[in-house]
Amino acid sequence: MSTPVQVQDLQEAEVVFRVKRYSKEKGDYWQEYKLKVDRFTQVTEALRRIKVKQDPSLAYRASCHMAVCGSCGMKINGEPRLACKTLVLDVVKKFGTNVITLEPMDRFPIVKDLVVDMTEFYDRMERVKPRLYPSKEVLEYKAEHRLKPEDQRLLWKFAQCIWCGLCVSACPAVKEDPLFLGPAAHAKGFRFLRDPRDTITEERVKVLADSAWRCTYCYMCYHVCPRDIEPVTAIKKTRALLKSVKPMGPAQEVGHKHSEAVYESIYTYGKINEGVVYVKTYGLIRSLVDMTYAFRAGKAKYALEKVEPVKEVEQVRELMRGE
Amino acid sequence: MLIFETRENSRGPALDKATYDAVVVGAGLAGLMSAYYIAKEGFKVAVISKVFPTRSHSAAAEGGIAAYIEGNSDPNDSPDYMAYDTIKGGDYLVDQDAAELLAYKSGEIVDLLERWGALFNRQPDGRIAVRYFGGQTYPRTRFVGDKTGMALLHTVYERASGTDNVDFYYEWFTWDLVVDSDRRVRGVVAFDMRNMTPTFFEARAVVMASGGMGMLYKHSTNSYINTGDGYAMALRAGAALKDPEFVQFHPTALYPSDILISEAARGEGAVLRNNKGERFMARYAPKKLDLAPRDIVSRSIMIEIKEGRGFPGGYVGLDLTHLGEEYIKERLALAYEAALNFAGVDAMKEMIPVRPAQHYFMGGIDVDIKGRNPDLIGLFAAGEAACVSVHGANRLGSNSLLETLVFGRETGIAVAEYLKTASWPSSDVAKDVERSVDQAYSVVKSESGRHFGEILEELRSTMWDYVGIFRNDGGLRNALSKIDQLRGEINKMYVTDKSKVYNTEFFNALELKNMLDLALVIAHAALNRTESRGAHYREDYPQRNDQEWMKHTLTYLRGKTVEISYKPVKVTRWKPEERVY
Ligand SMILES: Cc1cc2nc3c(=O)[nH]c(=O)nc-3n(C[C@H](O)[C@H](O)[C@H](O)COP(=O)(O)OP(=O)(O)OC[C@H]3O[C@@H](n4cnc5c(N)ncnc54)[C@H](O)[C@@H]3O)c2cc1C
Ligand code: SF4
Ligand code: SF4
Ligand code: FES
Repeated sequence: MSTPVQVQDLQEAEVVFRVKRYSKEKGDYWQEYKLKVDRFTQVTEALRRIKVKQDPSLAYRASCHMAVCGSCGMKINGEPRLACKTLVLDVVKKFGTNVITLEPMDRFPIVKDLVVDMTEFYDRMERVKPRLYPSKEVLEYKAEHRLKPEDQRLLWKFAQCIWCGLCVSACPAVKEDPLFLGPAAHAKGFRFLRDPRDTITEERVKVLADSAWRCTYCYMCYHVCPRDIEPVTAIKKTRALLKSVKPMGPAQEVGHKHSEAVYESIYTYGKINEGVVYVKTYGLIRSLVDMTYAFRAGKAKYALEKVEPVKEVEQVRELMRGE
Repeated sequence: MLIFETRENSRGPALDKATYDAVVVGAGLAGLMSAYYIAKEGFKVAVISKVFPTRSHSAAAEGGIAAYIEGNSDPNDSPDYMAYDTIKGGDYLVDQDAAELLAYKSGEIVDLLERWGALFNRQPDGRIAVRYFGGQTYPRTRFVGDKTGMALLHTVYERASGTDNVDFYYEWFTWDLVVDSDRRVRGVVAFDMRNMTPTFFEARAVVMASGGMGMLYKHSTNSYINTGDGYAMALRAGAALKDPEFVQFHPTALYPSDILISEAARGEGAVLRNNKGERFMARYAPKKLDLAPRDIVSRSIMIEIKEGRGFPGGYVGLDLTHLGEEYIKERLALAYEAALNFAGVDAMKEMIPVRPAQHYFMGGIDVDIKGRNPDLIGLFAAGEAACVSVHGANRLGSNSLLETLVFGRETGIAVAEYLKTASWPSSDVAKDVERSVDQAYSVVKSESGRHFGEILEELRSTMWDYVGIFRNDGGLRNALSKIDQLRGEINKMYVTDKSKVYNTEFFNALELKNMLDLALVIAHAALNRTESRGAHYREDYPQRNDQEWMKHTLTYLRGKTVEISYKPVKVTRWKPEERVY
């Protein structure tokens, strides 16, 4: 048996919160609040104290204070985080300053202060039909579900999404590509696509297959997710599961050709030959058009370089053939 | 479907009206479940919630849901044992017909949630896994990792939101029940929080599924949004709260943030130790030890602390260190994470600092096993907002999630039955609606006074100090006079934010009004019950007194006073015996 930490050795500090505020009437402005905190103070608790003791007009969302309701997403010193899963003094230590900035999440329209409009996020979630469609027999109690423990574990990983929106706020593809469902919706989509108890696979494929190829694999969602959902892993798994689905959507087709081209290139040259991959992915005409832009931008060296196979290409091929 | 009418009001802003068959206040497990079953019969339902449904407090439940599942329980177990455990745990203030219903439908409801897609942890053969929780003779708790509530809430939300007849109004604040002169419920007044616009939701039936009230106490494991609005709405409308003196304190909240360390930790083998390293529960509950019911464990911890065997700052240790890394990671991830994230404690190496905190409200809107309130026609309630008397004087762990689902469904079915014959009344309630809106707006009209925050902090300390784990006559009287004073002061409450957009200050002020109404009723009932039973512990009356007090308290709020009457406990098969663990 060991002794618990001596919680009375509290480290305390006076912290300044710089909060980016907004209201329809007053527009944008920054406001500062000073507050004494100890090593246990969560950012949500700090906000609560500011609201109760200093400025009741400050608007933010928080409910569970234990990182399961997904209400309190915001930017803390520029990082998308859950306020309740962030200890004030940890931020002070990490950034080496006792001034902490709080801003609303990116990408979402701001309603007031730290409160953003999540309507679009909920709509994205709804597009992947976020619910199980069990068989008729099961619903009529003529059959019973069994679920393998390993399936339960795999699905549960993605089902733990708390709809906080942090990943979407950080995802570059969501911003650029209106046809991309976004990380959280893909995690949810995969969770049902892969559920052996579900019956509407065909419909799910239609919704997920093309969108899955619109992700840029930048891993932002992986880094910001407070629940370790790894939406990008769900997207990878979706691509792998649906790689031969026909007919292909535009992004899927391009993506599919791209991965085939990459495979071929590595098989032939032992490395990625960018020029060849590009032509195989986008086709000759599009490549030629793009190349004229590339010339102008001085970036055509990849396309024109003559590429020799690497020395170990035979070993690479053996590996790829699974020998 | 939805009919929106905009009526010009001579006194000011236009007031919208929406018409539904039923309004469900609350989108936690209980609300969603009843909404689903009302809609299933073809009725139009509005679900109103002050947060997006999956942000409801139900998400915070960790440990699990109790169920006796035929063929997948201990061979010696039976629903009767489960009912008995519930009744004994509730210190015989449980209505036994309710406990039987809860136990007999438990397997069925878990099975239903499984069919709807809930990812319960599995045994190697693919069947649903099970573990022990406090107060259970045999293990009955089913779980989804360490986030059972979140998993079930998402599952039921997924189901309800896929239903045609349910409209969701999230981030809408329900302020008042509208009742006509025949004591018939006519709907609710609610505000769109994004623009403060009031709407009269006209309906033939209203289900209060507005959850608990932890924010009344300085230390609570509850979500910030649990301010007891539904109880206050019912009280103001003339319905009774049953057994409001029974407030549960959870023994193991993380010190000092009051984040719950689930009972699952003790179910899986963690033990409580004082500053001498003693497993002190051996002294208070020699047989059940750390798994004795919550009220007993909470009081034991407080006594240890009071008598100098706690750690400085006021807490004891919860020891997991002997359980091993893999086991902790698999079964106790949330408890482990909470200790690490919020107290900087690595529970594999050191004990977790814990102390009791408010956790659950056994009292609630008086309803029968079909969720019907006897005072107001068309009023129903379910979940933590209701008192079906299934938890009596003390709720057993994992019985509450079960209650929200079982009685959420029973209530939904009963509402649908009611709607089949209930007519649309014709009398005009426009005046009542207007009065209610005016009352809400009064807080924004003042130009000076006290802020909600100051009053709130005083209330929460008062409740913790005098209406908490240990109670006595003097303390309760103190509390009552303080609450009286604060109720006077809120009439002069001042809201600094005059903005119409997402004005959380305005809604916090309304919540505070609700909290004070409820606090008054709780303190009154606690003073009135001169015995100790379950979670209600009177230092000046430490014994249970079945002769005089085997009865439910019914409380009505009449302006500044609380009127108390009683109702017998329903006993079917189990005669009261002493609670020994
Ligand atoms: C930390 C924690 C852990 C727990 N773990 C367990 C467990 O393991 N097992 C178990 O059985 N029980 C557990 N419980 C208890 C259980 O979680 C709750 O009792 C249960 O979830 C209550 O559900 P509900 O549907 O009644 O209300 P809630 O889920 O609280 O929902 C209330 C709803 O009402 C809405 N609402 C409230 N007021 C208004 C208003 N004025 N206007 C509009 N909407 C309003 C809210 O927005 C919300 O949607 C736990 C509780 C806590 C605090
Ligand atoms: S990896 Fe894909 S989904 Fe994730 S943030 Fe990047 S583009 Fe978005
Ligand atoms: S995937 Fe993670 S970051 Fe994205 S919404 Fe879900 S919990 Fe939040
Ligand atoms: S308050 Fe619930 S996730 Fe932060």
